[in-house]
Amino acid sequence: MQVKNHPHSSFGERERFALLLITPAALLLLLFQVLPIIIGANASFRDWSLNNPKKTWLGFAHYLSVLTDPEFLQVVLPNTFLFMLVSVAGALMIGLGLALLLNRSFGGQKLVQTVLLLPLMVAPVIAAIMLRWMFNDQFGIVNVVLETIGIEGQPWMAQRWSAFGVILLTDIWLWTPWFTLLLLAGLQSLPREPFEAAAIDGTSAWRVFRYLTLPMLRPVIAVCVVIRAIDAFRTFDIVWTLTGGGPARSTELFSLYAYVHAFLNLDFGKGSAAAIIGAVIILIVGLALYRILNRVIRA
Amino acid sequence: MAIVQQPTFAGLPPSARRAFFALVLLAICLLFAFPVLWLILTSLRPESGVYYVHRGLEFTLGNFAEVLRNERIVEAFVNSGLIATLATALSLMVTVSSGYMLSRFRGPSASTWFGTIYVFRCVPYISWVLPLYFVTQSLGIYDSYLGLLLPHIAVHICFFSWLMKGFFDGIDPSMEYAALIDGCTRWGAFLRVALPSAVPAISALAVLCWLFTWNEFLFALILTGQRTPVITVVMAQFVSEMGLQWNLMSATAVMALVPAFALTLFGQKYVVRGLKI
Repeated sequence: MQVKNHPHSSFGERERFALLLITPAALLLLLFQVLPIIIGANASFRDWSLNNPKKTWLGFAHYLSVLTDPEFLQVVLPNTFLFMLVSVAGALMIGLGLALLLNRSFGGQKLVQTVLLLPLMVAPVIAAIMLRWMFNDQFGIVNVVLETIGIEGQPWMAQRWSAFGVILLTDIWLWTPWFTLLLLAGLQSLPREPFEAAAIDGTSAWRVFRYLTLPMLRPVIAVCVVIRAIDAFRTFDIVWTLTGGGPARSTELFSLYAYVHAFLNLDFGKGSAAAIIGAVIILIVGLALYRILNRVIRA
Repeated sequence: MAIVQQPTFAGLPPSARRAFFALVLLAICLLFAFPVLWLILTSLRPESGVYYVHRGLEFTLGNFAEVLRNERIVEAFVNSGLIATLATALSLMVTVSSGYMLSRFRGPSASTWFGTIYVFRCVPYISWVLPLYFVTQSLGIYDSYLGLLLPHIAVHICFFSWLMKGFFDGIDPSMEYAALIDGCTRWGAFLRVALPSAVPAISALAVLCWLFTWNEFLFALILTGQRTPVITVVMAQFVSEMGLQWNLMSATAVMALVPAFALTLFGQKYVVRGLKI
């Protein structure tokens, strides 16, 4: 509304310049994000198979079939939430520990930082390949080490929970450095005075951490957790490469479920419905997390 | 900050404390580097030794030579590199100008654009990546450079515009006003006055954007087929189809890691800055 009040900036050269600046971005957004969302929403109500798109109107049939699918309710959803919880909590705790450890000056700090940055640069697909090789049942180094110390090797990828564990391990390996880096930056920006006062009073390290560091670091932790949790919810590549959702679809996460229905079972309608259900869930989870964390920050 | 930690080891003499600290750091570094080191070691083993990587001392570079003889893999490397580079250049061009607009203009068009970006940033991308397949097919660009490039640019629009707005907000606009008064055009003020001051921030974003695109998998899996192989998809197929040739698999993966590691080593300053945004 400011434009109208301002005598010099009637819809003219200035406004044209502004619109010109956003035109390419707006066009791309419209074509490759808005349009696909509309197509997906439309398809989720229709009989739309990839090889035979009849496009007959079905109403909520796909939504019903996803929401009553025992695979979705008893495997995919619990897997997704468990994955989100454990991977975020694990990476946060290890990352925080490392950040506290690194938060001092010492020789070789640069080297440690470089090593910690490595996982961040590794493509999730490659990380998955590495871990899959390490946990190979016949020749993987993990089983070799276990057998030398007298423990029987496991067919890691052939059992549900061990396969799920490897997936979690990969994700935590990939994301711990991200937490470390951001939390370290947070630690370094904290004021020094309270810590000096605590040191003079001879406060124990644990109490300093519990009553000083943690409360002051809360906002940073909160932001990291929200961003990471939403990302973790839609994880696709490491699961696809490590297990392909197997054994027997027991490690499928929600993105994989949507993909499998749309592109392997060729039922694009049902896949889209699953994707939209997932989008709604993550929206609710995201909002709830945001609320909780806002309260945490203010407390 | 050292004060916080010290009481834990207070009973030990300083030299022992230092040694303990160094050991812990070494263990952590090894733990994080181990999967990568193991992959590199595997990639250097001849086929006969690959199943017993921990035993034997024969090493070879033959795996790399053999991978490079595979046309599909070489093509995938070239494609991935080209697409990542083009996507970075184009998405920065698009988002720099959109971020500049958000930062320097007020009024209905700016607030509408900001609202749009904010809303679409929150839409999880699984709900638009599946139907993108139809969009690219009906535009006739499925399984081509454009078909992967344009969606990749679109992925970053919301987030990057937002970041760019932040960068430009931190730059004092009075220089641009001065340039305008001196007879510079609006484009001149944007490109020759504002843009140069944003270069450090843009470089950080460029490094990250390149890596995102190089490492990206889901879009590539859905939007490419036989004609335009990219490296992440080829590797994922490799692992299920030729799962037994771990020496070749590892050599391919190591080669795919090289650009990422080069960036970590030489562009660390930018990477760290980019990640902290």
